[in-house]
Amino acid sequence: MTARAGRGRRGERPRLTAGLAALLLAAAAAVTGCAAFSDAAPGCRQPLRLAIVAQSLPSASYLPCLRSLPQGWSTSGFRAAPGGTSFLLNSDRSPGHPVRVRLIPSCRPGDASPSPPRAPGVVTYTRLTSITPRFAGSLYDVFPGGCVSYSFDFALGSQISLMEQFEQAVGLYPRQQLRLILKHKLGVELGP
Amino acid sequence: MTTLPTPKSGAVGPEVTPLLAASPQGRRRRPSGEPPPLPRPIGRSIRWYLLLGGLTATLWAGMSIPASLGVITRADLVVLQAIATVRTAWLTHLMLDANALTSQWVVRLVAWTTIAVLAGFRRFRHLAVYLLVFLAAGLLVSAMMLDLGRMRPAGIEILGPWLGYSQPSRPVAMLALALVGALYTLVPAGRWRNRGKWAVAVILGMACVARLYLAVDHPTDIATALIIGWPLAVVVFWLAVPNEAFPVSYSGLRKAHLDVRGQRGEAIVSALDRQLGLTVTQVEPFGLEASAGSTPLRLRARAADGGEVTLFGKLYAVSHLRSDRWYKMARTVIYGRLEDEKPFSTVRRLVEYEDHLLRLMRDAGLPTPRPYGFVEITPEREYLIVMEFFEGAREMRGEPVDDQVIRDALRVVRRMWDIGLAHRDIKPSNVLVRDGKVLLIDVSFAAVRPTPWRQAVDLADMMLTLALLSTPERVYQRALEVFAAQDVAEAFAACRSITVPTQLRALVRADGRDLVGQFRRLAPSRRPVPVQLWNIRRVGVTAMLLASLAVAVAVFAGYMKVAGLL
Repeated sequence: MTARAGRGRRGERPRLTAGLAALLLAAAAAVTGCAAFSDAAPGCRQPLRLAIVAQSLPSASYLPCLRSLPQGWSTSGFRAAPGGTSFLLNSDRSPGHPVRVRLIPSCRPGDASPSPPRAPGVVTYTRLTSITPRFAGSLYDVFPGGCVSYSFDFALGSQISLMEQFEQAVGLYPRQQLRLILKHKLGVELGP
Repeated sequence: MTTLPTPKSGAVGPEVTPLLAASPQGRRRRPSGEPPPLPRPIGRSIRWYLLLGGLTATLWAGMSIPASLGVITRADLVVLQAIATVRTAWLTHLMLDANALTSQWVVRLVAWTTIAVLAGFRRFRHLAVYLLVFLAAGLLVSAMMLDLGRMRPAGIEILGPWLGYSQPSRPVAMLALALVGALYTLVPAGRWRNRGKWAVAVILGMACVARLYLAVDHPTDIATALIIGWPLAVVVFWLAVPNEAFPVSYSGLRKAHLDVRGQRGEAIVSALDRQLGLTVTQVEPFGLEASAGSTPLRLRARAADGGEVTLFGKLYAVSHLRSDRWYKMARTVIYGRLEDEKPFSTVRRLVEYEDHLLRLMRDAGLPTPRPYGFVEITPEREYLIVMEFFEGAREMRGEPVDDQVIRDALRVVRRMWDIGLAHRDIKPSNVLVRDGKVLLIDVSFAAVRPTPWRQAVDLADMMLTLALLSTPERVYQRALEVFAAQDVAEAFAACRSITVPTQLRALVRADGRDLVGQFRRLAPSRRPVPVQLWNIRRVGVTAMLLASLAVAVAVFAGYMKVAGLL
């Protein structure tokens, strides 16, 4: 018999705590907002990033993009996939009720009222589904090959400024212009 | 006036007992620049992996410049267009099926299976690293996708489903991470892992070929995703759970024990020769079942008379140091102020401390193993301490003990009291008997200038150990020869279930006699010494642990979502 090492219980507890410590590190990374990495929508001055929006709906002659976000606004939930693109616009003056922006092949404005067009060749409609207690409804930009719909839901009182702000925040980028830029900068053909 | 002996120059023989033969070469200092006995290996594959990581960074830097992005994209499209020339209906159908390998459900199935198996086998360190790799790689992929904002292949029909930006390919990276993670945390290194690498390569190859055929990703999107999912993940596993310290094994070997065969075995022999001047002929694990805090070894060394002598060694590694830290933190929570111990900062400190305690106890005349020093195997990572092996000694259990042995054992405790030491782990397997003499082993937890409570607990534990092989009355009477009755009363006033080592507690329970109660009745009456003492440190550590646990649980679901596992 001889000198022996430590006690059997030494190795047990540490592993659990080591695992918990590692999870804490992961948690720290998670809670620091890293989860929002892929959420931001492309800006109108970033044509190379906007190309993915064009690819999501090859028929669309216009592409939604961010001009500049007014103070208190942010974007999240950017999702580009075959069939269209969507993202959210959030305002700190209307928490929990973001504006949902979607590029889709077609819209059905139905009984929506025509509004001043937001770009050449675009027909814009507005439909309000509620005026009080909340100001809610949809805005449609209809153009050849596609449509951008905006679903909004604002509290009364600040709805006019919020409507103006989000309409200014989202621009429509001509596909033809993007095609030329991609050809010029990358030497690639965007497609139709 | 006293003069010290003049040291001899050059290589001198070992400072070991005359029983042992000095190595023919004697001890030799390792010159600057010479590698240690067991250098931390940076394999050729790791170098390649790091190089690939650098190439990925270079590629990403190039993609952030439109001109070079154009060149890369055009080159990618040339490859894709060449692949597109072989498109046929049936092949497209086949490739769509193969592309399903990269679906989120496949990744989740592999990942959750891995997590379940790791949890089932209590490989929490591997599990933590696996989760961290998933999270970190997932975040890196997301960050680079957003930063580069690369479009999908242009000018060519995309036949498969896609989501978001293309560089790097998230589905390929996540599939690679899931598979490689499973491989490096579940499959033992060696033949099976090598076979597994081929299997993973085939699966990933099929998925990548399918995505290229379908023109879902550019070739460079896939290349960078593979580099993130395979080489970079392997580097993280190599750093956090190196196989030499945390081997994946299902052979029943405790996870705390290191494999002393092969390269490490050779390094141990070499280190003992060069650093201690010992000629060791055999190194083998010994008493593994009783140890989780180190890897205990039995060493056969050449004796001075030409024969062989057995020595005992304990191999300490970084993993043992970490275990020690968490163990002490847990004890602080459980015992509070009475366990005023601090964790060791390095493996070197840990082994230095045990060597120091062995020498201190030996100098004090305590019957502990003779120390022979320690050797460095890998600097700051692995050290081996060498001591005497008590040949022919038996544990103090099973056979009755006579008065002489009882007296001897109690004198050992008395001696520790007198010189200000506490053993802190007195139990039958640490108290040996040889030729009627008591021997004390495993001093790694001993303390110099311990709390009085700790010394009292030592006495109680020794008396319980002796009473198991005798009677409380007999042990008490012998104790009064070297201790005052009040000392015994204090010992059993300090004695609680949690102060008794697990092995001793189990034996006392199995014995059936109320040994503690009998000792208390024999000794003068004394109020119990409180054990659960709260202080700021204990409250702080406990609160921190509870808060950490709560935060960990609260964000776990969020983490899983971020890592793409939900």
